[in-house]
Amino acid sequence: MTVMGTAARPVARPDLILRRVGSEWVLYDAAREKAHVLNQTAAVIWTYCDGTFERSAIADAIAREVPGIEPTRIKDDIDDVLRRFADEGLLR
Amino acid sequence: MGALYHAAPATAEPPTLRYGLARVAGGYVATSPSRPPFGPASLGDALAFLEWRATEDLLNGEAEGAIFLHAAGAELGARLVLIVGDSGAGKSTLVAQLMVRGHRLLGDDVVRFATTERVFSAVGRSVKLDPNTLSRMPLIAGKCAMGVIGTLLAAGCYYVSPAAIRRSWQASPGRPGAVLLLDAGRRGGPGRVERTSEGEAAVYVTQKVLGGAPAFGAATRKDATVQILDGLVDVAAYRASGDDPAAVAEALEREVAA
Repeated sequence: MTVMGTAARPVARPDLILRRVGSEWVLYDAAREKAHVLNQTAAVIWTYCDGTFERSAIADAIAREVPGIEPTRIKDDIDDVLRRFADEGLLR
Repeated sequence: MGALYHAAPATAEPPTLRYGLARVAGGYVATSPSRPPFGPASLGDALAFLEWRATEDLLNGEAEGAIFLHAAGAELGARLVLIVGDSGAGKSTLVAQLMVRGHRLLGDDVVRFATTERVFSAVGRSVKLDPNTLSRMPLIAGKCAMGVIGTLLAAGCYYVSPAAIRRSWQASPGRPGAVLLLDAGRRGGPGRVERTSEGEAAVYVTQKVLGGAPAFGAATRKDATVQILDGLVDVAAYRASGDDPAAVAEALEREVAA
């Protein structure tokens, strides 16, 4: 199953630049002169968007890195985040 | 006259005279390398002209490895606080409050950012304060007792040199520990500060680039944005509101100390 509008194995646009600022992250899209503010979870998801991880694999990886979060909630969060990435044109 | 030298960094090199001020019949004439002579004019207007030209020359790319931001700031304890907001949001008033409370400044309206080192530092410029603001700050008002209100550029304001208030007025260059957003639309009520999104504050700072070297193209703007974000890696972000800049200054001191 794929989330509407996202690939099974999401791939981040390589020209985008991710930088930490305080407790948040900024994903800078120079081509569109736009910056996106990400929370910690979204930033971690972004790093898994290299075309080798399916959504479930991303969820498993994040569950290992962020203990104490309900697995179903992780999957829902990943769906939401990937949909936003796709809607904003941040994925290939 | 010492107050006029706030723009000159301490150096052992002989001075290079690029800007001039001459007394002539009917007032003063100011000269700069990039504009025809200005005057005869009043002393206040001639000095305002010179400060404007010096700032414009700086922004037009004569400083290697630096860009300039429309921002202000101060050093509170060991932490630099970068203050950003649109014109009229109250940067100068807050900076003046912080100055009289004993803090060194990162500047008012223009802040230098070194692109290689990713550090922010002060640009010597006067703080523009209107008489109403000054009436709430007796220390600065006393210094301005013999001053002249300008009619050029920042009309109706005193040009207050920070060097006239405090000999060592410049904050040490460094990376800010905090960013404070000032929003003219959030007036009303007591002065206070509250935490806000660090990412959004940092993005707002990147939008405040005024100029610098080399001339700004798309590639340079991209580099500058990333470099500025690198310089803000460890900030906490705050948003100020309220009508009382003294209370905002006090609240900011509390938050930054915490």
